[in-house]
Amino acid sequence: MYGRDGGLLLSFRAMVGMESQKRIVLSFDRGTLLLSGLECRESPNVSGSSVWMWDARIGAWRCDAIHYGSIRSIVNGRFTPHLQDNLPQPVSVSWAKIELPRARSEQAEALAAWTREGRRGQVIMPTGTGKTEVALAAMAEARVATLVVAPIRDLMYQWHRRILAAFDYDAGIVGDGLANIKPITVTTYDSAYIHMDKMGAGFALLIFDEEHHLPGRCRREAAILSTATMRLGLTATPERSDGLHKDLDWLIGPVVYRMPFRKAKGSTLADFDVVRVPVALNDREQTTYDECSRAIRHFITSRRKETPPYTWRDLCKESGKDPQARHAQKAYYIKQSIEDRAEEKLRVLEDIFRLHNGRKTIVFAGSNAMAIEVSKRFLAPTILSHTRKRERLGVLQGFADGRFPVIVANRVLDEGVDVPEAKVAVVIGGQGSTRQAKQRLGRVLRRSGNIRATLYEVVCENTKEVMRSRKRRRSDAYERTLHRRV
Amino acid sequence: MLTSEHSIVEYKAGRAVPDRLRQKTHRHYIDYAEKMLSVYRTGLGLQRRRLHQQIGSIFEDEPDCPVRRIQAFCKLLDDGSTFQADPSGEAGKLRLEVFSQAARFHPLVQQPDRLFEHEEKGVKTQLADKLGVSWNQIEDALYADVMAYQRLESFAGCPDPASLLSRYNVAQLQACLYKARGMTVIATDDLKAIVRYAKLARLLHDIIRLGPSKYRIDFSGPATVLRETRRYGVNFARFIPALLACKGWKMTASVKTPWNQPAKLILCDTDGFTSHLPAPDEFDSALEESFARKFGPERNGWQLIREGEILYDRQKTFIPDFTFRHQDGTQVLLEIVGFWTPEYLAQKRKTLQQFAHHKILIALPEKAIRKDAALAENILHYKTALKLKPLMKILEKIRTEKVHSASILR
Repeated sequence: MYGRDGGLLLSFRAMVGMESQKRIVLSFDRGTLLLSGLECRESPNVSGSSVWMWDARIGAWRCDAIHYGSIRSIVNGRFTPHLQDNLPQPVSVSWAKIELPRARSEQAEALAAWTREGRRGQVIMPTGTGKTEVALAAMAEARVATLVVAPIRDLMYQWHRRILAAFDYDAGIVGDGLANIKPITVTTYDSAYIHMDKMGAGFALLIFDEEHHLPGRCRREAAILSTATMRLGLTATPERSDGLHKDLDWLIGPVVYRMPFRKAKGSTLADFDVVRVPVALNDREQTTYDECSRAIRHFITSRRKETPPYTWRDLCKESGKDPQARHAQKAYYIKQSIEDRAEEKLRVLEDIFRLHNGRKTIVFAGSNAMAIEVSKRFLAPTILSHTRKRERLGVLQGFADGRFPVIVANRVLDEGVDVPEAKVAVVIGGQGSTRQAKQRLGRVLRRSGNIRATLYEVVCENTKEVMRSRKRRRSDAYERTLHRRV
Repeated sequence: MLTSEHSIVEYKAGRAVPDRLRQKTHRHYIDYAEKMLSVYRTGLGLQRRRLHQQIGSIFEDEPDCPVRRIQAFCKLLDDGSTFQADPSGEAGKLRLEVFSQAARFHPLVQQPDRLFEHEEKGVKTQLADKLGVSWNQIEDALYADVMAYQRLESFAGCPDPASLLSRYNVAQLQACLYKARGMTVIATDDLKAIVRYAKLARLLHDIIRLGPSKYRIDFSGPATVLRETRRYGVNFARFIPALLACKGWKMTASVKTPWNQPAKLILCDTDGFTSHLPAPDEFDSALEESFARKFGPERNGWQLIREGEILYDRQKTFIPDFTFRHQDGTQVLLEIVGFWTPEYLAQKRKTLQQFAHHKILIALPEKAIRKDAALAENILHYKTALKLKPLMKILEKIRTEKVHSASILR
């Protein structure tokens, strides 16, 4: 089979040479674009730009897929007819039906602004004012392969339901152990980061729900590794404490519409009261709590004598080398869990349930353990981060139908999950960030009739939780608050 | 594998040093490892959180043990276990049943009165009676599917305490690499295994020949030329056990400290990490092995080196089976074509064509050669074993004919 190969070899080489002159190939390679068939000296960059980089490892020009929109026409203009475009083209879709509620004026305004901007940009609207409807209307008009990226699995499934209801389309799901990619697909930020290098060429429109999650150092790659030329970002609270939200301008597009929070209150949203309920630790809890506090204080004081500016951070650093430091660290976690799971909170919950009997009530717990404790005490269903799809749908549906008067959620319901007509919310644990406060308020504020909503914050007295509650109320969502003891 | 939350890395003088338990400083950890294994071996039926509590209490008074190390051990032990996973969703069904029945009694109060008469204990007893079990049993089963409450079903675990500790060391190394931006390997042996496993881990390479049988290989991913990214950290981590099983290499990975300063993770084959993978086979086939034995390490001034050079053209690599290196510097490659399914031969033929300018000696089985074929100079043929006499003749011919020796290797 092997003979004198000289002749064959020669013709083989000649063929390669001819091909490289003739054909320039544009392709998608794991989240990047490749332009092969050019030499290192034949840069495809136009003056001033440097999106393309020479990749000596493979001998081709490479750029991030996000640049597809800007390089497409340049490359086409320059290399046609030698250009062979191997990019998989996102398919267009035709909807079996479109069933959307008539857009409110601010929704229509937002959509028009986004369309004017070339279907690229961010829409900022408060929770409960119908961001999802804006996105669905955008999908209805664009009629292209679309990927919806949601923060958590609950929201991903919610998008799946909304798309099914609006278009009669059973969207693909990437995440929660599934990887079913369809022209319309829903996913989470984490799954998008992991899988975008495989599916980044398949969509023409990306929708980032709660877009403030996108600019994180890793998660942003979900936007960078995709060729989609149309992008829509949605949020109530774009600001990030690390300032990275300014990158949304190039990851998604400019802010095209912003509705102030004040405008939402009173018009689209129901009025609400915020009630802080201080609870005391019982004797046993208080004793342990004080013991732990003393242990920590004692440890830190003694350390400060030796090394003056001794801080909590030093303690954590030392905990690996010193059992005493580790015991102090453990004492801190015990304190936290006492605050989180104080018995008194269950008693207050009983009172709130009595007071609002007949009203749908959501309880937000600070941990899985507390959520389960509440659930076991009052026999109310839970939605935890690992609750399976069918069960969570059943629970939410049962709550909507009124079969379950109370549901208990861990932090998973923090953002945007539709919980229809909940009029009472009880926060019995959680972190004191402004965004979380707004998002949680959004749950009880959702427009439905004229009943005033009430948000209870159950916090332990004389503990750190009180501080968190104060911080939480600094957000302008709490301006009209009403304090009373139950 | 661990997650980033388990990673313990010390940064000093620009170096990243992942947590490592050493014979010298952590001899007493063998006892801990034994105790940990026995917790899992004797802990069938226990809830995950109980097992983790027991592991934690082993280290109660150990001065040298960060919390993350304990959590990492728990993760590694869990990885070797199966827990009752409740695949048919029994707990979920029970919850639906119980909560649906209980809904009409809401709210369950502790002190019934005229307004609210459903006392907690009474309702629970009533529900339990209806289901025909005790309330304690119900409460126990209600959230049995939640991770922390799952019960240990079996533990395949680790063969011995030492292997748990070496698994921990490699796992910390991998966890440190999750954050790596790039990796460079300088290799002198096991070139084939290193390149092959890096490809399996979906890494791209950039190869530079530093000298005879010495290569610098930069590993990276597609987007690495565009921007700094941690995207391929997982690929580096996946590649590491294979690298640890090889010999003759030094690895440098670039990572970042939590304060965003560059740091290097430096590692070599003599650092004493134990891979769970076996060392690469010395020879691909018995034919190669018998040939190497017959030839000996050196013959007539020719040194024999197994898989001593990488031929590369961008991402295509070819590592011929043997390199002959003469004292005067002449180097000749030999590829033994052993199997001969048509697909294999076609593939080999394409590769050899691509690297034809290296003029590699090719040993072919006689059965694979056409009767009437005119054989090129660089083709040797064999029936069952490769003969040394014709081989030595060609080697000498190449060495003495200047034109060949110059173009043998770039």
